[in-house]
Amino acid sequence: MNQEAPVIDLDHLVRRYGRTDAVNGLNLRVQPGRCYGFFGRNGAGKTTTIKCLLNLLRPTSGAVRVFGMDPARDEVAVKSRIAYVPDQVAFYPWMTVRDTLDYFASFRATWNQATERSLLDRFRLDARQKTSHLSKGQRTQLALITAICPEPELLVLDEPTSGLDPIVRREFIQTVIGAYQEGDPGRRTVFVSTHLISEFEGLIDEFTIIDGGRDVLTLDADAARERYQKVHARFAVEPVGLDLAGARVLRRGRDIEVLVNGDAGDAIDRLRARSPEAISTEALTLEEIFVATLQPQGAVA
Amino acid sequence: MRFQLNFKSGKPVYLQLVDQVKAAAASGAVHAGDPLPSVRTLAEELRVNRNTVAKAYADLEGQHVIETVAGKGCFVRAASSPFKKDVRLKLLAQEIDGAVVQAHHLQIAKSEFLSLADDRFDAFAQKRSRAEQ
Repeated sequence: MNQEAPVIDLDHLVRRYGRTDAVNGLNLRVQPGRCYGFFGRNGAGKTTTIKCLLNLLRPTSGAVRVFGMDPARDEVAVKSRIAYVPDQVAFYPWMTVRDTLDYFASFRATWNQATERSLLDRFRLDARQKTSHLSKGQRTQLALITAICPEPELLVLDEPTSGLDPIVRREFIQTVIGAYQEGDPGRRTVFVSTHLISEFEGLIDEFTIIDGGRDVLTLDADAARERYQKVHARFAVEPVGLDLAGARVLRRGRDIEVLVNGDAGDAIDRLRARSPEAISTEALTLEEIFVATLQPQGAVA
Repeated sequence: MRFQLNFKSGKPVYLQLVDQVKAAAASGAVHAGDPLPSVRTLAEELRVNRNTVAKAYADLEGQHVIETVAGKGCFVRAASSPFKKDVRLKLLAQEIDGAVVQAHHLQIAKSEFLSLADDRFDAFAQKRSRAEQ
C-alpha cells in the first residue's frame, strides 16, 4: 500500500484570503482505499482545503498532490478520477432528474447504469421530476448518485449530511459503504469533512483534526480509541491532594473522571492507591476525542 | 446472528466482530455450515467501513473459524485449529494470564477462579445443547 502514491498529499498548505490565513501550514496524507475523516469546527479551514484539492482555489504556498499530480497543472487527469459532493448542492432548476444525470454522465468516461438505477430506486427518486422541485435531502441524494456512478477513485464529501434528516443521513452513509465501495475497495478512497463525527464513526479508519488552518491531530481511528480513555473512580470520601500529573481531571465530589491520552495505567495506579470504591475505564468516541482536543483545558463539560 | 458494536470499549471494531463470531460459534448460536452475511450487507447494516468487515472475515478465516467458498460467501466451519496442540495451549495461556491478572486485582482466589471457569464451561455447553434442540 505504501509504495503507491498517496491519493492526497498536502505539504505545508497555506491559503490566505486577504490578511486572513484560512489554511496555515496543513500537512495531511491519505493512502488509497482509506476512509479518511477531516474534522474541524466551522471556519477551521476544511472547505478551503477541499477547494485547493479540486483546483477551485490556488494555494498561497505549499504543495498539493492528488494521485501524485498537481491538480492545477494536471486538472483534467486529476478531476476525471475524483467526484465531489459539496455541502450546498445546486443543479440547473429547469432540468429533470433524468436530464441532470445525463448531463453529468456526458462529462465522464465511465457511468455505471446499474448503480444509477439501483440508487434511484433506493432513494425513491422520480426521474421525471424537475430538480427545482426536489427537497434538500433529495438534492443531496441526487448529488451522491452523480458522484458514485462515474466510479471515481476518490470521493470527496464536504459536510455531506448536515441539514438532513436522520433517515436520509443513514441511507447516505449506507450508500457510500455499499454502492461506492462495491467495485474495487482498494481503489475507493473517501475523504469526508464533517463535524457530525458520530455519524461517520464506524466508517472512518483514519482522521485529521484541523483547527485554525493547521492539523492538530492525525490518528488511526482504532489507535485513537485505544489511546484516549476515560477513567472513572468513585471514592468513599472526597480524596484530597490527589495528584494526577498533567491529566485532565473532572471532579464531582466523590466521583473523579480522568481523561487520559496515552497510558491509562499510570492514572489507574494513582487512583487505585487511594482505594476507590469502584473504578472503570471506557474509550473516548471520535467525537469526544475531537472535543477534548479542541476544548481549552479546564473547560471540559 | 446479531452483531453489536461498542465504540467505547477501546477494542478495535474488527476484533469485536471476530470475537462475536467466535463466541456465537462456541455457544451454538451459529453452527458449522451456517452462512455469514456478505461483507457489503454487514458493513451497510452496521454502518462500518467495508475494510473493517473484510479484515474481520480474513482474520476468522486465518483462525479456521470460517471458510470462504468462491462465489457463495463465507460459512462457519466446524471447530478446527490449524495449530499444533502445544501452540494452541500457549495461545490459550495468554488469554488466561489476562483473566488471572484481573482476578488478582478483583481479589478472586485461585479456587474461586477455577470453579468459575468450571461454571462457564458448563454454561456454554448448556447454550450449545439448547441451540441444537
